[in-house]
Amino acid sequence: MIVLDKVDKVFPGSNIPAVKQVSFQVDEGNICVFVGPSGCGKTTILRMINRLIEPTSGDIYIKGKKVSDKGLNPDHLRREIGYVIQQIGLLPHRTVEQNVALVPYLLKWPEENIKPRVRELLDMVGLDPDEVAQKYPFQLSGGMMQRVGVARALAADPPIMLMDEPFGAVDPIVRGRLQDEFLRLQKEMKKTICFVTHDINEAIKMGDHIVIMNKGELVQHGTPMEILSEPANSFVKDLIGTEREIKLLELTKSGEIVNKKAEIPETVRQKDCFISVIDPVQRALETMMKKDSDLVGVRDKDQEIGTISWNDIKKLINKLSGDA
Amino acid sequence: MDFEMERFISALIDRSPPHALVHLQLVLIPVIVAFLIAFPVAVLLTRRRFMRYTDRVMTFFNMGQTIPPLAIIAVFFPFLGLGMEPALFALTIYALLPIARNTLAGLKGVPQEVKEAARGIGMSEWEMLMRVEIPLSMPVVMAGIKISVVLTSGTAALGALVGAGGMGAVIFAGIDFFRAELIIAGTLVIGAIAIVLDRILSVIDNKLTPPHMKM
Ligand SMILES: Nc1ncnc2c1ncn2[C@@H]1O[C@H](COP(=O)(O)OP(=O)(O)OP(=O)(O)O)[C@@H](O)[C@H]1O
Ligand SMILES: [Mg+2]
Repeated sequence: MIVLDKVDKVFPGSNIPAVKQVSFQVDEGNICVFVGPSGCGKTTILRMINRLIEPTSGDIYIKGKKVSDKGLNPDHLRREIGYVIQQIGLLPHRTVEQNVALVPYLLKWPEENIKPRVRELLDMVGLDPDEVAQKYPFQLSGGMMQRVGVARALAADPPIMLMDEPFGAVDPIVRGRLQDEFLRLQKEMKKTICFVTHDINEAIKMGDHIVIMNKGELVQHGTPMEILSEPANSFVKDLIGTEREIKLLELTKSGEIVNKKAEIPETVRQKDCFISVIDPVQRALETMMKKDSDLVGVRDKDQEIGTISWNDIKKLINKLSGDA
Repeated sequence: MDFEMERFISALIDRSPPHALVHLQLVLIPVIVAFLIAFPVAVLLTRRRFMRYTDRVMTFFNMGQTIPPLAIIAVFFPFLGLGMEPALFALTIYALLPIARNTLAGLKGVPQEVKEAARGIGMSEWEMLMRVEIPLSMPVVMAGIKISVVLTSGTAALGALVGAGGMGAVIFAGIDFFRAELIIAGTLVIGAIAIVLDRILSVIDNKLTPPHMKM
């Protein structure tokens, strides 16, 4: 869907490239997360995809078409690509409603379709339309502004979204909630998303695919599982940090290691020590500790299907971290 | 010089009104024409294609304000002669700078991230100018227009020296005939014109200023 082929970007007046020989591909319907320290070129990559800036060399394709194609009007290209900028950038002199309505307006939607769409979007990002629609950005909190920024980018239902630290301005609890809400939305929307963060945990949680950058270069890319289980070098290891095993457990579904033949002992039932197949293994561990048990029962909806033991988890950790 | 109340009131009520009307023309016409020139030129100077001319053009506008209007009238005397036209011409040149300077400052003051976002969601350059840059720079532009109006209100008194009339005629008559009443009346009326115009502009300004910029 989105392909970068050996893309370089050297800003005028600088001799070190901001982006160096970067190639990758984002598949349709996937969230690709770019992660890396400040100044590593994440924003620069997004801005090249929607042609706010041009690469110094290399090519960028969207749906097989070169974005630098002469026949493609960059303004029209951008209306097909939702963009959430890092600094939010709401128009300060327009109400929330007018801000969200911008792209439909630019696309000349009929007036009567725009208002209901704005309400739908505000609702979608967890804002009360009656409360905020007529407010100005300066009357909102940072987190509310970010939600409006996301709603604005989603307004015309673009197939592609570029999101530059869209949940950066909120505290960890609200951020977690926004991430959950967004993942839920994405299940239905199935958009192709480039998502920037410098928080590896957010990358692991949000990404179908992760691109790790450092100093303008692509260091490693792959699924969260691949990155966690086989970090390419010490930079990636440091980025992942100390809780690699726990992160791996968060990524593995209980269903993958459930012991289906095992009987569920009476003690497990008495303690109500159960989890669901779609819970991460991490949940199994937490439940064991909370209920003081070394075995949890696993349910699929209402059906009891098997157990996970402390030993099963230990084996999984050993296997994932490769020192079995 | 002595002061007689009766003469003063007569100067205000009988003598001033026709001159005040001319004076109003000497202020409004130059400021409006200066706006029609300086505003679009300043907008162009903030576009990438024309940015490199900014210094040269602003130097010209600066000269317009440093050279005394009377000198401009003298220079253009062979073409424009004396009377209303050369006065309007000189005052227009004089009024350009504050409007051009403030328009430039206003447009440059539009936050970078707002422009980035507007462009990023697909606004064309024209849409961005009309819907984002100009509305957000309006308060600064209006301040420039006000400065021009106040400056021109005072300077327009010199119009009387080249036969254009205006309140200057009342003041210079007062100087010629040692009549303090006339000088004071003329000055007061000029002050009143400046204040009234400034108030009117404030009302417009208030309408144009986006809510987040209001105190
Ligand atoms: N318009 C520009 N002109 C010159 N240099 C730039 C410009 N934009 C970015 N750079 C440089 O390019 C490099 C990459 O910047 P970029 O904004 O892509 O980083 P980032 O990964 O998004 O960082 P952050 O996490 O802080 O947002 C930096 O060294 C920056 O100084
Ligand atoms: Mg950035």
